[in-house]
Amino acid sequence: MQKISASSAPDLAVHPQPVRFFEASGRKLSQAAIVFLMLPFFALIFVAFLYPLLSLLLISVQEPEPGITNYVRIFENPIYATVLLRTLRLALLVSILSLMLALPVALLMARSRGPKLAFITACILLPFWSSVLVRTAAWSVLLQRNGLINQGLQAVGIIDAPVKLLYTQGAVIVAMSHVLMPFMVLPIYGALRNIPVELGRAAAICGAGPNRSFWEVTLPLAMPGIVAGFILVFLSSLGYFITPALLGSPQEMTISTLISQQLREFLDWPFAAALVGVLSLLVTAITLAFSRVFRFDRMMGAHE
Amino acid sequence: MLAMGEVGGPHIKAGGAPVEIRGLSKQFGSVRAVDSVSINVAAGEFIALLGPSGSGKSTVLMSIAGFELPNSGQILIGGRDCTRLPPHKRNIGMVFQHYTLFPHLSVLDNVAFPLKMRGIAKDERRRRAARALEVVRLGGYGERMPKQLSGGQQQRVALARAIVYEPQLLLMDEPLSALDKNLREEMQLEIKRLHSELGITIIFVTHDQSEALTMADRVAILQSGRVAQISGARDLYERPTSLFAAGFIGEMNMIEASWNGTEVTFAKNFSMALPSSAVIDDVAAGPVMLTVRPERVEVMPEGTPGTASARVDDVVYAGAGTLVIASMACGGTIRARKGSADLSAIREGDRVGIRFPADAVLIYPRQA
Repeated sequence: MQKISASSAPDLAVHPQPVRFFEASGRKLSQAAIVFLMLPFFALIFVAFLYPLLSLLLISVQEPEPGITNYVRIFENPIYATVLLRTLRLALLVSILSLMLALPVALLMARSRGPKLAFITACILLPFWSSVLVRTAAWSVLLQRNGLINQGLQAVGIIDAPVKLLYTQGAVIVAMSHVLMPFMVLPIYGALRNIPVELGRAAAICGAGPNRSFWEVTLPLAMPGIVAGFILVFLSSLGYFITPALLGSPQEMTISTLISQQLREFLDWPFAAALVGVLSLLVTAITLAFSRVFRFDRMMGAHE
Repeated sequence: MLAMGEVGGPHIKAGGAPVEIRGLSKQFGSVRAVDSVSINVAAGEFIALLGPSGSGKSTVLMSIAGFELPNSGQILIGGRDCTRLPPHKRNIGMVFQHYTLFPHLSVLDNVAFPLKMRGIAKDERRRRAARALEVVRLGGYGERMPKQLSGGQQQRVALARAIVYEPQLLLMDEPLSALDKNLREEMQLEIKRLHSELGITIIFVTHDQSEALTMADRVAILQSGRVAQISGARDLYERPTSLFAAGFIGEMNMIEASWNGTEVTFAKNFSMALPSSAVIDDVAAGPVMLTVRPERVEVMPEGTPGTASARVDDVVYAGAGTLVIASMACGGTIRARKGSADLSAIREGDRVGIRFPADAVLIYPRQA
């Protein structure tokens, strides 16, 4: 053994690995190749996301005069704090509702095989085939004064006259949960699928009935997926525009509809930019806080 | 034992429960995985279920554990009919092939898990889990996470978790197959030690015959869903009751021969008389299968009286022993294993005389 290692060590020194773009084996990419392949992605992110965001933020502190007057305005008027809190509450409610709807579906998916699994997956992914606009419009048809839901409730006798469903917070929460639910289902399903079947058997033989087994084993092991889905839905909800704009009440604005109003109706770009700044700061802070508490690499479904 | 003495308190003393399997059958689609299997396991007995893959041994074990519902038959554990009882109510221990520790719990919490399910207070269950870890010689590892342990250590934690609640029956589903050879032998001894210490009934599934022979009091050989033979290691090796068992356990020479009631004839016209004890299962006169273990075959110089002539095809030297492969006049090959020192210089191509001691030969009816 010693002889072999002694003779192989100088071998390595004599033949240093030349820098190659692609490894000869075809299985590994060199560093340069990896950077090259990632370039388009980063270029897109920079041109379409970072550059506009940074120039907006620049506007927020430069116009109408250099300084933080726009930000002072946000914090001086309590109406903006109300909008912000309402947005946070909305995002939280949407996330909770999505989780409640998604968890049973993900559990069912994880326990299904073959055509049944394909059917459920199709149901989850089908909404992606239509635009968010169409789905939101569908909700406004359902929720309107003489819509299916009001008619149905009247027919059953729960209500006597049509109730106001459209243009309420409730409508926004329900429709947004519907739109964002797949982002909750898929990470949870991924986490559940990673749990070996034998662990459930081990729990059972240890004396855990189906309920205890779920609380003590399944749920803790699915937690990375649950947290990932929750963050995904929560952060998406914070800046969500179309659904609150179409189904929400004009008296109960969210931060996204407020930004849109400032841009399109008052043409107040610097103030809208400051609002974007606050939203970005909020999203970043929440992401950092979450990644502190739950490690992000585990969240992406990776094993430790 | 020493470790437990240091910790003090009562020993883990489970005792064993008898297990009775009556006419167990399980059908998967059109396949009969288990076909009316009946096995009686005495209290405190260590029994191995041995068989090739697809023989039904795992299905039998999973039925005992409660993970498979048999189509017919009964399973009695400690006299109680458990056939339809869900696994979590059976109060049996089980060690799986892959360690199956809960990755989100520390080693101690893993071992304490079954106690938690039984509603035992936290202090008590931590104390008992620590003691179970001492029993498998992993005292002091409680705070680690399962990922930080080696495969052998993880399997010992799984063992501790399976015995911590003092079940009377321990099931093991190829628990050592994922370990390397040295570790496997160490764990075999560990499990044997636990068995004699705890007096627990163990049903052990394996496809490794030497593991079954060295560890178990009795071995049940399964073949396509049926029990081919249940007996102790020595009987199994020296008097297999079927041609399948004969071929499955160890190496066996099988030679086509014919039997006339007192003498067996093979290699064209070489005959030898056999005692009646050599006859398994009322063999009628006519074509039979003659079996003899390679280590019982005697290799003599050619022409020695009472030997059949054969030509050496190959000599394989393997240190302590040497394998001689020779072909006989009838075309059949015969393998002889001898201590290397006992063999005079035999080379490939030599002609030799082959002889079987009469008490080493068993004859079986030829399979259709």
